[in-house]
Parts: sequence; structure tokens; C-alpha cells
Amino acid sequence: MKVKFILNGRNRSFEVKPGEFLLDTLRKNAITSVKNGCNESSCGACSVLLDGKPILSCSLLTLRVEGHRITTVEGIQEEIELISHYFGDEGADQCGFCNSGLALTAYALKRELVNPTDEDIKKYVVGNLCRCSGYQAQFEAIKRYVRNEK
Amino acid sequence: MEIKHFHRATSLQDAHETLLQDPSNIVLGGGLWVKKVNASANTLIDLSDLKLDQIKDTHNQLEIGAMVNLRDFETHPAVKSINGGFLSHAVSQIMGVAFRRLATVGGTVAGRFAFSDLLTPLLTLDVTLVFFPKKEISLEQYLNAKGKTTDILTSIIIKKEPGIGYFKKVSNTVLDFAILNIAVTHFKGKYVIAVGARPAGSVLALKAMDYLNTQKNPGLAEFEKAAELTSEALGFLTTSTGSESYRKSLARTYVRRGLEEVAHHEG
Repeated sequence: MKVKFILNGRNRSFEVKPGEFLLDTLRKNAITSVKNGCNESSCGACSVLLDGKPILSCSLLTLRVEGHRITTVEGIQEEIELISHYFGDEGADQCGFCNSGLALTAYALKRELVNPTDEDIKKYVVGNLCRCSGYQAQFEAIKRYVRNEK
Repeated sequence: MEIKHFHRATSLQDAHETLLQDPSNIVLGGGLWVKKVNASANTLIDLSDLKLDQIKDTHNQLEIGAMVNLRDFETHPAVKSINGGFLSHAVSQIMGVAFRRLATVGGTVAGRFAFSDLLTPLLTLDVTLVFFPKKEISLEQYLNAKGKTTDILTSIIIKKEPGIGYFKKVSNTVLDFAILNIAVTHFKGKYVIAVGARPAGSVLALKAMDYLNTQKNPGLAEFEKAAELTSEALGFLTTSTGSESYRKSLARTYVRRGLEEVAHHEG
């Protein structure tokens, strides 16, 4: 079946199976920043933005994306570079597998919540798991990014 | 799940007719269980184009469209205002934001998921489910009913009543399913208690409520008794996450705490 949606600002059309998930469609088409972690809606590594809001691409059938906007880190590179500086400054990177999903979630958080508290930030990113970092450095990086701290 | 066809319904009539065509056809909610279910579907029916993702706030009720996602539900000002925001508080503990952007209110309710952190607090309120083609039943009736329905849930109606609510989810980690969840509401001396994830589904603690609501000015001793009645009267089972006796103990403790917490508020 054919599905059309806007991927990183460009109109795209894909031939997909009825039971195909967005994660697989994206990775088959060279969007490899979207990671296949748990593949069962638990880890957040596959996070992408659907009309600007974070969702889990491993659990969304591609055919349901018809007519919507999908954004991955490839589509917002300047902002992602900014986020990556905060991650670097705080030593929040280790293996990097969770970074794309976490960065997209941080990007969405900044646009959705006004003046978020520490608790708001923690609650927003709780679905993005990291098996390396222990979270504190990532939390500090996201907090500084969201609050535009130098 | 093996899926042969995918159908974007153009109307509720179209969705309903498609559903009736084959017993293995399934109406999609958020679709988060599609990957986990070991079954096959001839056709998955998508309701995304039917404008069921709206929340209508009127003077005395809230009408929640079946396709409203849990994140929009949780953050809606009218939902936040119900019984001190206990519905928002409960839903905010379900997985992460990206998960809740996919999961829908309709999918959660229609699925009667026993572990649901939404059904338990909803059960303490006056909630009516609206189905297509034409059926309206209370949430309690629906949860107690057996078998599959071929009607399609289109919205849930929450009657606005002043009051205060309490919700507690007990789980091993933040992202786990509940080992037990408890909801308590109070308005003008009337208490409602619901318990879910026992691991069976959400139920009202009727014996405890009957006892408590016939006491004059109930206090700590009556709350303790009501908590004990909840623990004794509802069925609890042992699973890998918690034993029957552990669940009973949790129910006793958190029902009492819930009652104490809501007792001094009139909403």
C-alpha cells in the first residue's frame, strides 16, 4: 500500500505493508538516526516527532502517518548540533545509541512546556532510557538547553 | 500480529460495516498492542479521520472522544480540574510522553485492560460510554460485561461533580505496570473506592463504600475498617510482580491513606 507524508520537510511516498511500523520504514529508507532499541514501546530510542510532538516510531503503523509531518534529527540539524554541545559539555554522551531519541524529546520539551521545573523535565524524558549514563549528566544538559543557559 | 489489510474508515458507519464483515477485523485505538498480540487480523480499522480526537467541555460534563491520546487528555485544563486533577496525575504515570501520545482513551477503555491506571480513577466517577451505532452504558457495566462487542466506542462522558480525588500506583519501577492501583474520591461525606491491577481489572470496593457511607462523620477508625474491608472483600492473586498477601497489604495501606487524604477536602 502507498503512504504519503512529509519527512523532514519533504513530501515523500513509500510503498509499505499493512503491518509495517514507521521505525522500519524510516530505517529502510536511510533514516538510521532512528534506533531500534527494545522494539516494544519501552525505551524511547525510536522516538521521532509526529507533527512536532514525540511518539514511538516502533509502535506506529506507517499507514497511520498518511498526511502528517515526521521529523527526525536529520530534519533539524542546527538545533540538534546545539543540543549536542550541551550533551558534550556535561559529559552526557557514552555509547550514543539513545541520543537521537533523547535529543528529539528535549527539542519537543522546549517547545511544549513553558518554564519547566526540574520535575517537569524529568517527567517529560522519563520514557527515554539510557543504559550507560545514569541520567544525571543528560538531565543537566537538557536543563541547560531548555533554559538557554550558556 | 499478522495483518492482511488496513482500512482508514471514512465514517462510523463505514467502520462498523467493515468490523462486521469478518470476526478477525479489529478497530484500532492507539495501536500499541498490535505488535504484542500473537494473533492475526484480516483488516485493521483506523478511526483517525473521524474527528474523534476532540474534548468537549460543557457546563456539567466532559465528552472525551475515543481517539483523544493520553497526553492530550492528561494536559487538558478541564481534565486537570476534575477532583483536584487526580485523572491527570494517574495518566501522567503511564510510561513516557511519547508512549502517551500514541495511546488513546478509547483504546484503553474499550480494551478493559486489567492493569490500566486510567480505568481505576475513572471508575470512581460518573462515566458513561457512548458506542456506535446506538448504545450508552456506564463504565462499571462495561467493565463487568463479558465477551467482545461489535459496537464501536466513540466517546466517554465524564459527569462533572465537585470533589477531591486520590490516586496511587504501586510499581517496581516508574515505567512498570502497576502491581496495584487505588483511587478514592470524596464529596460531601460520600466516598468512592476503586482498586485495579489486582491483577484482575478495576472494581469498586462496594462493601467498604457501603460501610463508610453509612457512618456519621467517619474518622481514622472507620477509614481503617473500610481499608480492611477492601482488602478482605476484593479478590487478589499472586503474579511474578507481587503475591496475593502483598497486594492485600498494599490495598489496606493505600486505601486508608487515600481516605485520610481526601477526608478533609470538600472539593
